[in-house]
Amino acid sequence: MDSLSNGAAAATIATRTTPITTTASPPSSKLAHLTESLKLEHQFLRVPFEHYKKSIRADHRVFEKEMSAVISGVTEAADADLSKDDAVHHLSSLVSKLQGLKRKLEEGSRIENLQAQRCRARLDHLESADVENLPDWNNTRLKRILVDYMLRMSYYDTAAKLAGSNNIQDLVDIDVFQEAKKVIDALQNKEVAPALAWCADNKSRLKKSKSKFEFQLRLQEFIELVRAENSMRAITYARKYLSPWGATHTKELQRVMATLAFKSNTECARYKVLFEPIQWDFLVDQFKQEFCRLYGMTLEPLLNIYLQAGLSALKTPYCYEDDCTKEDPLSQDNFRKLALPLPYSKQHHSKLVCYITKELMDTENPPQVLPNGYVYSTKALEEMAKKNNGKITCPRTGLVCNYLDLVKAYIS
Amino acid sequence: MELTTIKDTFDRVNKKQKLSSSKSQEVIDQVGREIEQALEKIQSADDPTSPFDQKSILTDLVLELNAIDPLHQLEGPQKELNLNLSKYQKLLERFFNPDISKAYRNVDFDLHIVNQILASHFYQEGLFDLGDSILNEAGEPEATVLKSQFLDMHQILEAARLRNLEPALKWASTNREKLKQNGSKIELKLHQLQFLDVLQKGTRADAVTYARTYLAPFYSLHKKEFQKLMCCLLWAGRIGSAPYPEITSPTHWENLTEELTREFCSLLGHSYGSPLGVAISAGIEGLPTLLKLVSVMSAKKQEWQAMKQLPVPVELGKEFQFHSIFVCPVSRDQGSEENPPMLMPCSHVLCKQSIMKLSKSGTRSFKCPYCPAEISVGQWRQLYF
Repeated sequence: MDSLSNGAAAATIATRTTPITTTASPPSSKLAHLTESLKLEHQFLRVPFEHYKKSIRADHRVFEKEMSAVISGVTEAADADLSKDDAVHHLSSLVSKLQGLKRKLEEGSRIENLQAQRCRARLDHLESADVENLPDWNNTRLKRILVDYMLRMSYYDTAAKLAGSNNIQDLVDIDVFQEAKKVIDALQNKEVAPALAWCADNKSRLKKSKSKFEFQLRLQEFIELVRAENSMRAITYARKYLSPWGATHTKELQRVMATLAFKSNTECARYKVLFEPIQWDFLVDQFKQEFCRLYGMTLEPLLNIYLQAGLSALKTPYCYEDDCTKEDPLSQDNFRKLALPLPYSKQHHSKLVCYITKELMDTENPPQVLPNGYVYSTKALEEMAKKNNGKITCPRTGLVCNYLDLVKAYIS
Repeated sequence: MELTTIKDTFDRVNKKQKLSSSKSQEVIDQVGREIEQALEKIQSADDPTSPFDQKSILTDLVLELNAIDPLHQLEGPQKELNLNLSKYQKLLERFFNPDISKAYRNVDFDLHIVNQILASHFYQEGLFDLGDSILNEAGEPEATVLKSQFLDMHQILEAARLRNLEPALKWASTNREKLKQNGSKIELKLHQLQFLDVLQKGTRADAVTYARTYLAPFYSLHKKEFQKLMCCLLWAGRIGSAPYPEITSPTHWENLTEELTREFCSLLGHSYGSPLGVAISAGIEGLPTLLKLVSVMSAKKQEWQAMKQLPVPVELGKEFQFHSIFVCPVSRDQGSEENPPMLMPCSHVLCKQSIMKLSKSGTRSFKCPYCPAEISVGQWRQLYF
């Protein structure tokens, strides 16, 4: 077991920056911990809000488009020389167009209300977190984290089951991921149409984030045309859909265009890889990333983020020993494997745990030392002495001594 | 907390959205009415309406619509709505940490291991269909052994809740040796409860038979308990009056589920609580500190990914303290096999290396850093936590 001294890294950090005061006043109360942990819930509130914004924007666009069409329809009719019947027909169609618009917007408004309700339900849920109902609230949080993981991994059935059995549908984003499912399923079936539709739907925001996802989709379609040896169609396709991206992504475009010269069974490694089915998997991954970014979600599943943080905070060299207590998650093989590449935790002050009671040995329950150097808590030793006529038996070495032979140790 | 401010801001957003919605409906109605009026005029005009009239009706309509200016009418409410939308978003970004993945390390997080951990978590919690479901959807092999172990446990617990101790007793006797090795008294306890139950509900004769068959083997190790139980025969049918509240108290039944779970898991070499739950709770408590740390170390991404030990402590609740960690108050080094903690006669504890330094490699006496005591050479002894 290596001695974990203040390594060079830690020392240089201490000298280069001002003393890190993050732990100057460790939050000892449960309430303080809870308040801090609520601040981690940005995704929880942001996702339904993005969904809400999206519906609002879509409705605005529909209104502008249809209303402009109606107005210009009227202007047309006024300028043209229509017969009475034509005029009546024309105006009637405009009226029904307006009625259609009205219905669409009513439906849109209904959906927006539901989404607003969901946003508010989540705000209420955060507000309801209290020290009294903490175990339940934490349990719900664990379930939310698990559902998030399963949705991202596309384990939709399990996600639905878990959310349904605990009535937390409002607190998780199953419907948002359903939208993603359509695109992902299609991509896995080597179809780009739903993905392209999604890009069109979110055009302005994708442009703002300088996304090249649409370009990658188009490239793949081009490759498929080349694979099918439809060179002429491929070139027409490229002219229409790839050239707009040429200026900003010249190298990639050139590389893919070059595949025209090769066939799909080319052995040339540089171009062979472009024909591999794994390119579709890349597209799925790329889509997942764009999707998460758009909705304000973290790129990694919440489970991974919290698990890494937890494992690192719990990791000590003692966890990997054979007699590590089973209550420590790091006594399990699975967790040990996951924690291998993570940094160890650090302590600035001694934290001692009684071997017998597993409780903390602090000023209220100070450690006491047997003649053989083994240490146990005062509580455990007092109880043992009471039941055994003042005699103490060390559970690890079997040494017997008197309670009066023990010495208190002062450890800060 | 600031949640009230956030809620108010959202309510404002919602209000603006409703305003915008109703305005657009209003405008649509206005435009619709004008067009319908024009339509009526054209339809109701005496035939033959000269095209010129029709034209003027239409031209008037265009003017009317221009006056209504529907697109412009919506501009105001929409602008206000957008303003409030971005206000709310900024508020969220201010009060909540917008990117909690900053502390994430790009290390290999094996998917298969995570899925297996999830499955065993579900099995431990008794959610067997969820465990099966995730292994199925993830394409992982079935965890039949683990599942059957927890299935057994939950069956025993279900029965115990209904005061049926048969499955529990069967399990206890099958695993008698191992339980005895671990110093567990669960089998005796189960028989105790069963005995008292028989005593309360049945005849004294039944109870005596029960005692002879099942309690007698425990006599040698647990004389006191055995004697108390036999005395309870005197209060058959009204156990509550027996002067042994510690044996007859109903809390034993209440705590039985928890005790059985603990014993069962401990026998399996498993933790009482779900390890996933513990690890994630630790993560939730520790992540804020890690995120602050990352932001302080901002430019040093390389160092963050490569560090072997966190540079600051992450304070967790005491339920997460599983190991004794000794930190020498002088050198701030953590205790280890090579550098163990040493107790000095003044009852203060330093690590071996600090003592070696102060005593000049064990050649000179020194003063304890924490009290006036003089420590002569060799007057220290190793501690074992």
